[in-house]
Amino acid sequence: MKVAITRLRALTLPALAILLFAVCVSAQAPQATPPPPTAPRTVQFPKPVEKTLPNGLRVVVVQRSEMPLVSAQLLIKSGGEVDPSELSGVADMTATLLTRGTTTKSATQIAEAIEALGGSLNSGAGWDASSITTSVMSSRIGPAMEILADVLRNPTFKDEEIERLRRQYLNSLKVSLGTPGLIARFVAARVVYRDAPYGHPLSGTPESLPRIKHDDIVRLHDTFYRPDNAVLIIGGDITAENGFALAQKYLGDWPKPLAELRPMAITTPASEPGNRRILVIDKPDAGQTAVLATRSGINRDSPDYFRGIVANSVLNGYSGRLNWEIRVKRGLSYGARSELEMRHWAGSFNASAQTKNESGAEVASLTLAEISKLATGDLPDSELTPRKASLIGGFARGMETTSGLVGQVSSLALYGVSLDEINRYVSSVQAIKAEDVKNFAATRLSADSTSVIVVGDAKKFLPALQKAFPQVEVIPVGELDLNSAGLRRAASKP
Amino acid sequence: MRRRFLLTLIGCAMIAAGVFGAYQTNAQTKMPRMVYRERTLPNGLRVLSVVDKSSPTVAINVWYHVGSKDDPDQRSGFAHLFEHIMFKSTRNMKAEMMDRLTEDVGGNNNAYTADDVTVYFEIVPSNYLETLLWAEAERLSGLTVDEESFHSERAVVEEEFRQSVLAPPYGKFSYMMQQKSFVSHPYKRPGIGSIEDLDAATVENVQKFHTTYYRPDNATLLVVGDFDPRQFDTWVDKYFGPIQKPDLPLPRVQTKEPERTGEKRFTEYGANVPLPGVGMTYLVPSEKSEDAPALTMVDIILSQGRSSRLYQSLIYQQQVAQSTNANADLREDAGMFELTAIVAAGKKPEDAEAALRAEIKKLQDTPVSAAELEKAKNQIITSQLRRRETNNGKANALGQAAVLLGDPNRVNTDLEKLQAVTAADVQRVANKYFTDKNRYVFFYLPESMRPASGANKMSQGRESINGAKGAYAK
Repeated sequence: MKVAITRLRALTLPALAILLFAVCVSAQAPQATPPPPTAPRTVQFPKPVEKTLPNGLRVVVVQRSEMPLVSAQLLIKSGGEVDPSELSGVADMTATLLTRGTTTKSATQIAEAIEALGGSLNSGAGWDASSITTSVMSSRIGPAMEILADVLRNPTFKDEEIERLRRQYLNSLKVSLGTPGLIARFVAARVVYRDAPYGHPLSGTPESLPRIKHDDIVRLHDTFYRPDNAVLIIGGDITAENGFALAQKYLGDWPKPLAELRPMAITTPASEPGNRRILVIDKPDAGQTAVLATRSGINRDSPDYFRGIVANSVLNGYSGRLNWEIRVKRGLSYGARSELEMRHWAGSFNASAQTKNESGAEVASLTLAEISKLATGDLPDSELTPRKASLIGGFARGMETTSGLVGQVSSLALYGVSLDEINRYVSSVQAIKAEDVKNFAATRLSADSTSVIVVGDAKKFLPALQKAFPQVEVIPVGELDLNSAGLRRAASKP
Repeated sequence: MRRRFLLTLIGCAMIAAGVFGAYQTNAQTKMPRMVYRERTLPNGLRVLSVVDKSSPTVAINVWYHVGSKDDPDQRSGFAHLFEHIMFKSTRNMKAEMMDRLTEDVGGNNNAYTADDVTVYFEIVPSNYLETLLWAEAERLSGLTVDEESFHSERAVVEEEFRQSVLAPPYGKFSYMMQQKSFVSHPYKRPGIGSIEDLDAATVENVQKFHTTYYRPDNATLLVVGDFDPRQFDTWVDKYFGPIQKPDLPLPRVQTKEPERTGEKRFTEYGANVPLPGVGMTYLVPSEKSEDAPALTMVDIILSQGRSSRLYQSLIYQQQVAQSTNANADLREDAGMFELTAIVAAGKKPEDAEAALRAEIKKLQDTPVSAAELEKAKNQIITSQLRRRETNNGKANALGQAAVLLGDPNRVNTDLEKLQAVTAADVQRVANKYFTDKNRYVFFYLPESMRPASGANKMSQGRESINGAKGAYAK
């Protein structure tokens, strides 16, 4: 597969010997230039409608009835960032355990009930939110909502289920820690957020998971799972009236606790030249090296939001600069990409690619060079206009499916962004100019405060990397400690 | 990675064809019937189209009936490498121009190579339909290739090999199961190929492959979305009509995979194996077989969701596995039913194998209940509805029916076959195919589990054969 990553821009391929082989000889000369587009039609996105129930639960319905499918997502506006530092993974375990038993149904009975409808029911925590999501044929949304409400309100968190899930998480972590790209992501979070919330792995560490007790889970559920800290989004083949009625029926009597939920505020460090790290995780058996450039970014409610996503789109995507330089021009990777990830109290910028071990240093340098050029180099409209079109197209395609539509509305609702933004997105992106992108890159994405993490067989790239960057830290994968910003086991320190 | 995509695809093949009759299903959900137009040009190009004006976009697919099984000798991975080259230059397009015509105007494009087909697709604002028809006709009739872009794209494909086979802990495990499960049919060569064979590929190979397989009578054009049918026909005639059908035979793989004659086992050790892997394959018939719907049902019953049998037994109750999967990988010439488990820490691979075998035995000895069968059917309907939410998903389902199943109308009729599968059918296919002599068992273990004494450090793996009449799997 050619995968969804970048290729090139206004390149001039060296005029090499072109071997033309007209296989199927045409009876007449083919047209030499592409026919131009005909008149465009405008895109229209569905309009979400909302109301708040007396218990404080915000309900949003977004109707689109082409396929007889409905997705519903219940968001709790608290996720892995609320994990106490010793107990990383507790929010995710809590959310996952919801479907593992209620006062009236066992884990197996819950799975059988939802799957008998042909549907699915999944829960887990992300950053800033925990969620329960169901997706079913529209004729079955009633019973599916009943199951969703049951697991939300009546989970039992039995010790047996906690132990079972803990073992699953530990096993899963073993596999993740054998995967270079995932190791790089875990390490990046510690490099950017250090010991602040958001710095730990969402699903815990080998050391934190065994510490999580039944009471920690119950406490977390009691504190954060309440209607005034939740949003329900229902989308697909359902009317607003029916959606609101379902919400009222199954969640209208979900009691709101008397005490207010104490508001949370998180402070995270900003990336600066002084705290930048060039970090190698040496994994001698790695079949490929993962390179990840990372730094702090912007919050979701930043006024720089559209400047930021347009700036990122110049680097990201199949024809974005990173993939063009690394994949298309040099054949160094199957794909290079970047993301501007935004959260409630922090954001980060990440650029990544995987390459053969021998090219680890070259890909690291190329990645930083492209980040740097975004602030200092030219950005002609002939480049910016297609990148904006690509961004807008991706946004529209993301909402083609019921679950994509619900996901998009959910992320707006979670961050308190006006739901009308769906229908303002195109014009907001179009308004961004080259100067906006360059200013954003200069102030928010400076390369000299961007850290680099390289996970792979270090002996194959370390000398070159040390030539390109001063002060390279090397941590053998066996000594990696994800519990603190030091990232190295204390016992192994020289 | 590529493989995963393709399994999903092929796995859905049987399910796909025909999920949507305009009838009431068990779930009382009305399935929209896919109303398509069909024509064949004098040069043999088949054209299928579906008008859907719900959004101002259009999906274009071109399916070439050539896949990894058609890789030339000593050139495993070639069909897939060739697919990448199709994004380079043509007579009238510079390299990467396909991206200019799609990504730059808010669309996208991609392609994938499966065992039996290679599929190119674009999703664009509907006012660009004519432009893309021109571009697809260009690369069907006038592909060009230069040494530099060939070498650079080959390096990309080699990185794709590393990313899908070498980097993830179980990449080599899947690769090995694919390689060993077939002994004669070219399905034994994983579509991603090998670095050695990719390095040996030349520009001349590209030319020959294009001449041999990329011809209008080996292609199916599918368009789904917002367009005017009459105008569309005019454009198809204008851009594809002049391409001549070559007067050359179209080679087809004739090799038949022999039946297995005794249980075989293979053990491989790897440096980066966090938890042991256990796999099992059985040879089953092709996706065109009458038994295909029942085998698909077995797949769903074993592996879909947390109420599935493998999850319930291996992960939830016995806690012997970290993850499990079953897959009815039914292809055009032959199929392979695959079961895998990643073994939980502290458990033995032998225990996981025993648990997988117990689930097979249960399917053979006891009919599935009416409720379990009904559940599987509802799961199939839901997944097909989801698959067809997008224009490209619809085009894909139609392409599967037309090219791989040989009749586009199976996009509308095959669901009836799936809905008609009985408990007796499930039990019958389990007994027919999941026999001892048809089983191949794979262990993928960490180096630390390699027996200390007498083991040859250089050996690539250990193989044994039980009760066979001399059929060695290489």
